[in-house]
Amino acid sequence: MTNGTERSRRTFSLALLACLAVSLICVAYPIYVIRPFRHQEARELALALVVTEFRPVVTVISAMAAVLAAIGYWRRQPRKWWRAWPAAGAALVIVLAFLARVNVYELMFHPVIHPSFTAVREVKLDGAEKVVAVRIGREARAYPIRGMSYHHVVNDVLGGAAIIATY
Amino acid sequence: MWTRDVAGLRLTFHLAGINNQNFLMRDEETGTYWQQISGAAISGPLKGRRLTLVLSDELTLAAWKSEEPQGTVLDDVPAYISGYAKRDWDVRMQRAPTVLDFPEHALTARDLMLGIQTFDDLGQKVASRAFLYDRVVKEKLVKDHVGSEPVLLVVGPDDLSVRAFRDRIPGVDGATDFYRIVGKPSGVLPGVLPGVVLMDEATGSEWNFQGCATSGKAKGLCLEPIPMLKDYWFDWRNYNPTTTVYGKEK
Repeated sequence: MTNGTERSRRTFSLALLACLAVSLICVAYPIYVIRPFRHQEARELALALVVTEFRPVVTVISAMAAVLAAIGYWRRQPRKWWRAWPAAGAALVIVLAFLARVNVYELMFHPVIHPSFTAVREVKLDGAEKVVAVRIGREARAYPIRGMSYHHVVNDVLGGAAIIATY
Repeated sequence: MWTRDVAGLRLTFHLAGINNQNFLMRDEETGTYWQQISGAAISGPLKGRRLTLVLSDELTLAAWKSEEPQGTVLDDVPAYISGYAKRDWDVRMQRAPTVLDFPEHALTARDLMLGIQTFDDLGQKVASRAFLYDRVVKEKLVKDHVGSEPVLLVVGPDDLSVRAFRDRIPGVDGATDFYRIVGKPSGVLPGVLPGVVLMDEATGSEWNFQGCATSGKAKGLCLEPIPMLKDYWFDWRNYNPTTTVYGKEK
């Protein structure tokens, strides 16, 4: 085994580890910063959101580079068992590229995109129920807080105006 | 409540994160992140833009129904009903921890406040003031100022809902003394919320909870409603660091 081959394997190993680190940071940093019951500083939040914005592209590039690095290492490693780790590493980077497209909050919370409504005289809710109410033009609408505190966001059109009810 | 039309686009929003327990929204069309409480875009292609506030109220259904008998109510989404809030959710929420605390004015983080902001002609915030909700409900009628703007906080006939108005009757110079009508006016049936809650000294008119005069010299005129946010103290104070608090002047 030549020194050149050894050096090449080391280079590909480092490249693969770098890809793994970059992808892991892209996925984990926003999750770490933007989580409930944690104080967010303005700068770290801004950085986390920038990472979130660019990570779909960054992690794809990282995954491609990881696959190439794994292939390069594979070709220079005669021992079969030693080939397993770069394959696993590249697979993990690919998985991270998919996870980079997932926003946990958007999975957990379900905004109402296509709301439906019932005339107030037909609604069976108790009069003591609290609502967020709005009137635009001739149309008046109420959004019960019991549901708004779950969905948090309702995309609606009222009186010809596109509005978002939030709670 | 905000408009969804910005920069020539109609945006569709999702809850996409949290910032010191106030949530972040992301729009599908541009991927921009927006702060829920302020309507400000804080990251993404539309950063720096602001959503336009839509005037809304937080009322009991009974109070709203008495005013809007032709109104419509958002339906429950059957798939998620099991996750909807129980009746005592606001009591339970008051025990939830917070990540910020501003122990000023002897207020606790989850004291419920009614917040009002005033802006200049350029849209810059000039003043902000918070009113302890329990105190307003107890007093029934609060006459105060936010900055130099005279305001009126009125508790509805259900003794729970609150609205804010500019304390100026159109056509009448200066602020006017308003008085809460105690007890139900005659002729109001049991179980029906009375429509009249105030009288004013300047014109001798009766006013309903929507801020409109229903009798007297000012009949047909309405006070200008002011946007008011019901929020926990820690959240209001975080976004209004120079806020004053009603009844807590130093």
